[in-house]
Amino acid sequence: MNSRAPLIKSMRQRLAQALLELATADPNLYIVSVGLRPSVMLDRFSTRFKTRFVECGVAENNAAGISAGLARSGKNVFLCTYSCFSPGINLATIKQSICLNGLSVKIIGYHAGLLTGELGASHQMLEDIALMRSLPKMEVFAPIDATEIYQMVKVLAKSSHPAYLRLVRPSTPVIYPGRLGFTIGKSQVLQSGKDITILGYGPVLVQVFSITTKKSLEIINCSSLKPLDTATILKSVKKTGRLLVVEDHQQNGGLGEAVAALILKASLKCRFAHLAVNDSFGQSARDPYDLYRLHGLSPVNILDTINKLCSR
Amino acid sequence: MNIFGGKPHPLSVTAQDLRLSILEMINTASGGHIGGSLSSVEIMVALYFSDVFNFNRDHFILSAGHLCPTLYAILAKLGKIKLGELSTFSDIDSRLEGHASVSVPGIEYSSGSLGQGLSFASGLALGDKLHHTVCLTTDGEHDEGQIWEAIMFANKYHQGNLINIVDYNGQQIGGTTATIMPLGELAGKYLHFGWTVQTVDGHSLSALIKAIKIAKASTIYPAAIIAKTVMGKGISFMENDYHYHDVKKLPISLYLQAKDELSRSSY
Repeated sequence: MNSRAPLIKSMRQRLAQALLELATADPNLYIVSVGLRPSVMLDRFSTRFKTRFVECGVAENNAAGISAGLARSGKNVFLCTYSCFSPGINLATIKQSICLNGLSVKIIGYHAGLLTGELGASHQMLEDIALMRSLPKMEVFAPIDATEIYQMVKVLAKSSHPAYLRLVRPSTPVIYPGRLGFTIGKSQVLQSGKDITILGYGPVLVQVFSITTKKSLEIINCSSLKPLDTATILKSVKKTGRLLVVEDHQQNGGLGEAVAALILKASLKCRFAHLAVNDSFGQSARDPYDLYRLHGLSPVNILDTINKLCSR
Repeated sequence: MNIFGGKPHPLSVTAQDLRLSILEMINTASGGHIGGSLSSVEIMVALYFSDVFNFNRDHFILSAGHLCPTLYAILAKLGKIKLGELSTFSDIDSRLEGHASVSVPGIEYSSGSLGQGLSFASGLALGDKLHHTVCLTTDGEHDEGQIWEAIMFANKYHQGNLINIVDYNGQQIGGTTATIMPLGELAGKYLHFGWTVQTVDGHSLSALIKAIKIAKASTIYPAAIIAKTVMGKGISFMENDYHYHDVKKLPISLYLQAKDELSRSSY
């Protein structure tokens, strides 16, 4: 990581830009909106592609069904609303109308995680990864920043699987080296190291770069949560023997559990820690990073955990 | 015998054949949703055996997936699947799932979780404006809020190519729909939500075919057809008894009685 302060960019804005570009090239691309058009930054799309912007109002189950029906008719559908509502409200419709019917709807879950900040517990979706990775055929992705989401959505637009894509609300530091590209099922080693493997996704992982330590950290971006890049993860853990998973999500059903099972199945010896929300709700905070401090996900907490894991 | 003395509709033979198939299918499988399957027979016969729609191009979405025995029997009659396959209904190696499944040729939507199909049909109708999409729901299914979300959506998008037929048999698994969750004036509700509505005798093939022709002619408004039916239609001891929403294997005497009644029915 270079010493310059990173750019701060909005994932939402970058995604909106990518969708405009995709829709220009693909006349079959539709957006299904669920009453949050301004907030998910789709105003320009809605005026430029009027007939391909389908507004369902605040009705997430219907929106998932409409998306599935459009997909059955051959459209390339992006279902866009807050993650606390989709899949928060419409899981059963996603399961039956989209997954069971084998339709490749792309579900964009905005405002995920504690970073949603002042909107509080109801809007801080901390269960989306658990819900979505449990669904057959569903692929699950969480970009680390605005650069990755741009690359990711261009790839996903061509995918024939249903997918869930997790975004955060605030603008966040851009650290993703664009030259890496995004490949479904691949994670990226953002920094090589030998003492400890640190796995995560989304901006919570970016915080690791702000830590000063003499330990040699191997930082891996698991933005492809399902399919998971098991080879890269196992290779790294074999090398370091220590693993820290950090995620802005409930411990239950998150990446940490997925990776713990992977390590056990591979009979790897490894010291393991999992920083995530521990069976509790979020709450309001004007500075969303205060919530990382409150829930033990701040750089200080990460450093403490690194030191503990490396202590013997 | 037709007590009103009118000539039975030529397709009533088909309907009664299907009822026998449904009874055999469910009894062989030792279980299935027989009540609604029997009440929906004429509705699906009117859709598949009249010349109003061509479901190689138009779309049929069975929202109430538990009525699949009727659809499976129809697809067998149409040669989409083999007649002999019906005896595999709901078995481990069968593609004839206990609720409608796209693994069966001719089925466009896997269903079972109630209240979702009208949204799917509406999305499909929006994506394919050159053809009609016909959805079959039930009255009990209207307990689900999602149905009303879809009803509002279809009005907003002026979906003249969308038709929703409600198999209104007045029963659901735990009692009458009136006691479980009263729907009130369903036709009036559809009207106020911006749909055209017809209420018809759901066992009269001529009334049903006339209604779907009228519904098809609607170019601006989505069209609802409320088909008043009898749950368990054709088997006297099942009719209007919610305990026959679904059955396990029938005692042999009841099975024979049911078969006898269906075989002797009026043409």
